[in-house]
Amino acid sequence: MSFINPKEMKTTTMKPLHVNPLKLSQPMGATLAFLGIKNCMPLMHGAQGCASFTKVLFTRHFNDPIAIQTTAVNDITAVIDGGDKGISEAVENITKKVTPDLVGLFTTGMTETKGDDIKGATLLLKEKQKMVYVHTPDFEGGLESGWSLSIQNIITQLIEPTTHVRKDKVLFVPNVNFSPIEVEKLKEALELLDLEVYALPDLSDSLDGHLGVKQGALSSGGISVSDIEKLGDAGAVITIGRSVKKCGELFYEKFPQSTHLHFDSLMGLEASDEFYAKLFEFLECKSVPSVVKRWRARLQDVLLDTHFTLGKAKILIADEPDSAYAISKALKEAGGSCEAYIAQRSEVQEAFTCKVSIGDLEEVEKALPAMDLLITNYHGERLAHKHHKELLIRGFPNYEQVGIGLRHNILYEGSCAFLCEVTNLLVHH
Amino acid sequence: MTMVNRKLIKDLLNESACSHNKTKKASCDKPKPGATSGGCAFEGAQISLFPYADAVHLVHGPDTCLGASWETRATLTSYEGENNTPLGYCTNVSTQDIIFGGDKKLSDALSYIVEHKKPKAIFVYETCVTAMIGDNIDFTCKTAEELFHIPIVPVHAPGFVGSKNLGSRLAGEAVLDALVGTREPEEIHPFGINLIGDYNVTGDMWQYKPLLERIGIKVVSSLSGDGRIEQIQTAHTAKLNVIVCAKSLVTLCRKMQERYNIPYVSVSFYGKRDTSNAIRSIVNAFGDAELIAKAETIIAEEEAKLETRLKLYHPMLKGKKAILNTGGNKSWSIASALQDIGIEVVATCVQKATEEDVAIASEYVPILFKAPGVDQPRLIDEHKVDILLAGGRSLYTAIKKRIAFVDVNQEKKVSYGAYGGLENLAIDVCAALSNPVFKLVGKQAPWDAA
Repeated sequence: MSFINPKEMKTTTMKPLHVNPLKLSQPMGATLAFLGIKNCMPLMHGAQGCASFTKVLFTRHFNDPIAIQTTAVNDITAVIDGGDKGISEAVENITKKVTPDLVGLFTTGMTETKGDDIKGATLLLKEKQKMVYVHTPDFEGGLESGWSLSIQNIITQLIEPTTHVRKDKVLFVPNVNFSPIEVEKLKEALELLDLEVYALPDLSDSLDGHLGVKQGALSSGGISVSDIEKLGDAGAVITIGRSVKKCGELFYEKFPQSTHLHFDSLMGLEASDEFYAKLFEFLECKSVPSVVKRWRARLQDVLLDTHFTLGKAKILIADEPDSAYAISKALKEAGGSCEAYIAQRSEVQEAFTCKVSIGDLEEVEKALPAMDLLITNYHGERLAHKHHKELLIRGFPNYEQVGIGLRHNILYEGSCAFLCEVTNLLVHH
Repeated sequence: MTMVNRKLIKDLLNESACSHNKTKKASCDKPKPGATSGGCAFEGAQISLFPYADAVHLVHGPDTCLGASWETRATLTSYEGENNTPLGYCTNVSTQDIIFGGDKKLSDALSYIVEHKKPKAIFVYETCVTAMIGDNIDFTCKTAEELFHIPIVPVHAPGFVGSKNLGSRLAGEAVLDALVGTREPEEIHPFGINLIGDYNVTGDMWQYKPLLERIGIKVVSSLSGDGRIEQIQTAHTAKLNVIVCAKSLVTLCRKMQERYNIPYVSVSFYGKRDTSNAIRSIVNAFGDAELIAKAETIIAEEEAKLETRLKLYHPMLKGKKAILNTGGNKSWSIASALQDIGIEVVATCVQKATEEDVAIASEYVPILFKAPGVDQPRLIDEHKVDILLAGGRSLYTAIKKRIAFVDVNQEKKVSYGAYGGLENLAIDVCAALSNPVFKLVGKQAPWDAA
């Protein structure tokens, strides 16, 4: 063990710690993914605190009840068993009270360190409970990869083999940054083109804040397990965001009769144009719905209206990679100059057209004085206030505002709302 | 797992000062897989120590532990330097560290913190992963302490050892071992106390601390609301330990009694009666006639002032019926506060209360219930209840029954503590009772109405 000379530290960019972390963990991403499946119980394999922290964070973020359970590994089971005992006991206790259509089992840092065989445990319980297992150690990846890994495992473990194909049926895979209403808006956009659409996962009717009939012990809405099982005949799989690109590739590998349409972002004019262009090409579609045309024209107008302010604005973005990329791209279209900090390493960092670093909010704070506006999660509030900067809250968590599930910033319509919101904040400042 | 001290944990779970341990250990049982939702030992340790704003709180582990939990509790401080309470420090243990050990990263992180933050102390929280890979946190902390000349305190409360409550106890042990008694104060006050277990959430402590000071009592140190490292180091010179609403730190108080001959009292500052009784318990423990007389004068003054202020709300609150569903000591302390503002408390939930709390609750409230899911809606109907006070999860019950709701758990934004806080509670209850939203959103849609 050695202590570094603090003087040397200044020259290195690799800090030995996170100060005010921007990053959230893989098991948390997995939790959200399973909450987008109907009557599902996300089961986190770890000590009880991991699930408790996650539950509290998402409950406060969405202002809605969050279903989650834990295998509650303790100091004895942490050492002696391979995880199967705790997992089967957990499933037994869960099914005493509720009847889940699916249990989504995923690991944490501790159970990955001890090397538990979650596949084996799932197989042992096969007759009792339908399950999907995912390895999501929290010492690797982050929120986006935890979400994506879960979808990948749902695709490989749950979707039934088929060679049949329906060109009018599509599977759409959002990235973790999509708000519930954005999932619904994209489904509507696809349905407008006479497609039968399934989102995996589908948070649009589970965490959008609607007042349901009961406060569920299981996830309340989402895609049903039987619909997932029959997804194999989808003519196309549409992935939005680099973090979920692999999900589309995996689906295409399993069902080569399908088509994989990938988009890095859906914010701004260019991204929305690309989306419709590729889609119309795939559908050999000749007539464009008039509502799409109208919103495109509105976005053109909004770009002109907002460019006076945005063209002079210096904006600092700190978020999950796919979200930071989409935001920076949209702002750049109106002339905004951006700098981005992302929560974790991601392939999308190659696509950024502005300066991008992997960092924590301590580094964000250092860069903030030279900027006009900060776009980041709830933790940015203190920083923006301290440095007298305007703040737009995006990302997880957002404890401060209500209506998170209803925020719509994608395609032509959502991009209009986004650019206007940012501009109004800057003008106000 | 070299760092888990099984003997200490066993001792803490068998605390002789806990009344329930004479019969059974129900409240300290291990969590059940698939049937538990509470926080872990690490969270309990964090909650107990984070209010030391002049110390850096470094979590030695991967992301979930801190990434999901920093800046969530409104524990206020008057510290004028950089407030470390809401900040997040984490070694962000990676795959590399799992394989080769995280000691080097921890010592580098400590160097970075000392250089850039200049804290009065550093608490290092062990987590499940770093406990499992066997990092020698004690040695790293000790070496750093000798090098940097500030206390660097290891906190051994990894999540898997047990519940939040146990974590608070382990944090108390860490403070007792590493800090208490390590500094001598300039003078020893005859009526010096330590406040134990109040974390100053929403400024609760500030509702009553000025009153105590007016009476002539000096708060020597706090564990840990608005606390300071230098003060807790002198805690051994206090004459009395005052446990505020926290059974979890009773072990610490018992040990301080054995070690330093400091007696302790347990009090609550929720509501008028309890606040007055708390002040009386403290001054009676000193047995000084002048102090007791001064306390009575101030209690009379404050109660009279409060009554004048509460008159405004009496017409709206009088005769209203409430049900309470909250945890631990709050099952009775909030009930007593509600009674003080003229509300009839029909029932209170004791699902998460200790046997001692249940016994106290039964003196305040006629009906105690344990299964809120079933009992709550039934009791609301049977007794024509007007308002439900509970954690956010019960909001739906209130909406379905179309009665008012007040969140009395962590989500609350203002303090309900002591005399001043009781007025806040009255304001919030009145606002809820007069808000049309609970009835409106419970209404059927026009197409569903018969």
